[in-house]
Amino acid sequence: MTAPSLPIRHLDLSTMRADTHPGDEAAFSIFWWKELPLGMRASLPEELPFSEAQLRQFTAEYGAAQLSARSPALGAPLRATHEGKPKQALALSQLLVEHDLVGELDRLAAAPALPATQISVVICTRDRGEALAECLRSVTTQRSAPGEIVVVDNSSEGSAKPICGRFPGVRHVREPRPGLSIARNTGIRMSRGDVIAFTDDDVELHPGWIVEIGRAFADQSIDALTGLVLPARLDTQAQRMFQFDKGGFGSTFIPLRFDNRFFAETRPHGAHVWKMGAGANMAFRRNLFERIGLFDERLGAGAAGCSEDSELWYRMLANGGVCLYEPRAVVFHHHRRDLAGLRRQIRSYMKGHVAALIVQHDAFHDRGNFVRIFGQLPLYFLKSFLKGLLEGRRGQPATLAPEIAGYAAGLQFLFRPGWRGKHAPRLLIDGERA
Amino acid sequence: MTYRLVEFELSKPPPAIELTPEENGVGLIGRWNDQLVGFEMIAVHSGSTLSAEELRTLADQRFAPRVLIAMMEAELTAGGSRHKPLPSLSIAICTKDRAERLSRLLHSLDAVRDNSPFGQVEIVVVDNASTDSATREAVESFDGIRYVFEPKAGLDFARNAALQAATGALIAYLDDDVVVDRNWLMGLAKACSDNPGAGGFTGLVLPYRLDTEAQIYFERRGGFGRGFYRNEFRGSRFDNPLHPVGSGVLGAGCNMAFERALLIELGGFDEALDTGAPLPGGGDLDIFYRVLRSGRTMVYEPQFAVYHEHRETIAQLRRQYWSWGLGMMAFLVKSSRSDHELRSRHDAMVRWWFVDQTRMLVRAASALRGRDVRFGLNELWGGICGLAGEYDRSCTRTKAIRELNR
Repeated sequence: MTAPSLPIRHLDLSTMRADTHPGDEAAFSIFWWKELPLGMRASLPEELPFSEAQLRQFTAEYGAAQLSARSPALGAPLRATHEGKPKQALALSQLLVEHDLVGELDRLAAAPALPATQISVVICTRDRGEALAECLRSVTTQRSAPGEIVVVDNSSEGSAKPICGRFPGVRHVREPRPGLSIARNTGIRMSRGDVIAFTDDDVELHPGWIVEIGRAFADQSIDALTGLVLPARLDTQAQRMFQFDKGGFGSTFIPLRFDNRFFAETRPHGAHVWKMGAGANMAFRRNLFERIGLFDERLGAGAAGCSEDSELWYRMLANGGVCLYEPRAVVFHHHRRDLAGLRRQIRSYMKGHVAALIVQHDAFHDRGNFVRIFGQLPLYFLKSFLKGLLEGRRGQPATLAPEIAGYAAGLQFLFRPGWRGKHAPRLLIDGERA
Repeated sequence: MTYRLVEFELSKPPPAIELTPEENGVGLIGRWNDQLVGFEMIAVHSGSTLSAEELRTLADQRFAPRVLIAMMEAELTAGGSRHKPLPSLSIAICTKDRAERLSRLLHSLDAVRDNSPFGQVEIVVVDNASTDSATREAVESFDGIRYVFEPKAGLDFARNAALQAATGALIAYLDDDVVVDRNWLMGLAKACSDNPGAGGFTGLVLPYRLDTEAQIYFERRGGFGRGFYRNEFRGSRFDNPLHPVGSGVLGAGCNMAFERALLIELGGFDEALDTGAPLPGGGDLDIFYRVLRSGRTMVYEPQFAVYHEHRETIAQLRRQYWSWGLGMMAFLVKSSRSDHELRSRHDAMVRWWFVDQTRMLVRAASALRGRDVRFGLNELWGGICGLAGEYDRSCTRTKAIRELNR
């Protein structure tokens, strides 16, 4: 964490023989096997360049992890355990008859060429000018074009309109009522695709994003999808703090199925739905919204803070739905550059988290949510505090204060009159007019 | 309490294991195509049978993921037939009054020496002030082994004597209480040719036997095990701000090898560490640390494996944990003094170590694990003694030994 800057580089292990990094500065390496993301690693200058043996070791370890998670002969697909980690299902007898593992990895990594016209991309934005332009550039250069691209403009002035105008085929929809959940719901109502894929205006998409979503939804048992969120830049201290101290948006490169068993396992202490993914990279089947309703407008940026995504996953799992976490669907997220922004974000995350737990408790009378609020979270604060104190780690206290502030702010929803009686809006089959 | 050690070739169907009434567990050494891929300890009722079916399930759960990696690695290395000639190797064994164990080790070396991939291999036994002639006689009963007598008692005196006496470009150190794996030399050769430019190598340490409660306990608590994944260490790590101060993660002194010229350049081992009874540790931590600080890489290679005879009795084990604490702190005191640049890391490591030990103690105490508490206290007390001037006391003692043997 002492590195002054952390340039991001992409290494394709399928073709790489030697690392040419000069070893003069730190680097954040993201490893791929062709189109398949394998893993990532931050290194100080002394750790670079990677030796040939190290590259081979990364290939073997990352490759093996992909094979056991993706090759049906080796026990794939994997279910998530209650820690949100894969539950291995490898059988030695099947393994020993495999002969061409590298070839199998090649096959798994091959990108599909599927049409993606059944997919609507919905991007909610609010006064983010150039960031939105970058995002749209990556949406319009996808390998397979989506059926439609809807930008829901949540600004009061409609400031996104001229930017959308620069990209042919992008629909600009205004939603002046503030709130990310409201904007997303408007996006759902205004879109037509069978699958609705969400991303944010501070995100750039990998060119294969849409086609990977299409491939995943070809499996009819999937109701929702989340994907891998990689850092776009790690230039500032705030960005590195978010990525490394706060864990970024997750770091596993293994596809996982989140289903009712994951839900049941974690339910006693508040189903750990936040481990399933991030709102910057998620997709749903339209008929799921018809079944369980839309995003809860009490939650999300502009309202309680965030967690509108995880609350929807909670509702989905509680109703027997299945979410696939598919790290092949990759987006690159621009973390907040400044510390003040990071603190605000952390505060609002925690506030939204508590609010979502209250909403979940009320909707399903599930005490586990309160166990999380009054047991797990205070304990987590105490542990972080002691850890920061004892190890003298920089950064820990800096993010702890806004977390506790957010927690306290979230508790107000317990007592706010009228707030707890509301519900998420419904999606009627024939759209908004009904 | 006795565990049977069983080799388990995973590419073949497992045979059932029938335990005698004295045995109440197995230590499974997993191999895939003879390559070490895992070690697992399984407690069972004494005298029961582990069926082939149970073993298969076990293999799926515990060994299969590692086998998959090994298979993948094998595929990736196939075709890459760039065999550079390997340097000459000296194998140095420092021993004191343990002729029987020494013979056992020399026997195991005899078996691997015959098909050596190294240019030239010599074995040097340094007799570290043994009180009788048994060590010399044991060496003489083997062919082609050099015998060196070092009158100054202390492991690091002996290691330095070996360094001077050896002629190889590479020097591998073995303690006298180990036996080498049949692929030990191949493992070292693999590490050498895979890692051109590395300054040193460490390897896997498995238990030689698990016959007593103390041995089983020690291995369960982690033993010397550093796992079955190759690892490469350099001067700093992004994910560990204290590195390379916690150099214990690299391996153990009972099985390590270095480029000999590098060790000479670094001034050899610190003779005030690993001095035997008063300060029986820290020498390996110190040399790993100094190699990394010199800018050279150290590589941990699991195929470079030995079997270590763990302490037999609980009393000996208690002393071992005490000596770990003592050696660790003596090393930290020394290098915090001599390496100003990283002083803050050393100080942080001292803090972290005591906090961590205390945390483990509290956990053991709250779970009413009396033995863990006692061993934890021993290690903690060792640490306190180490911090309280043990390195200086040891310097004085080693100086006196040098004077005496001048």
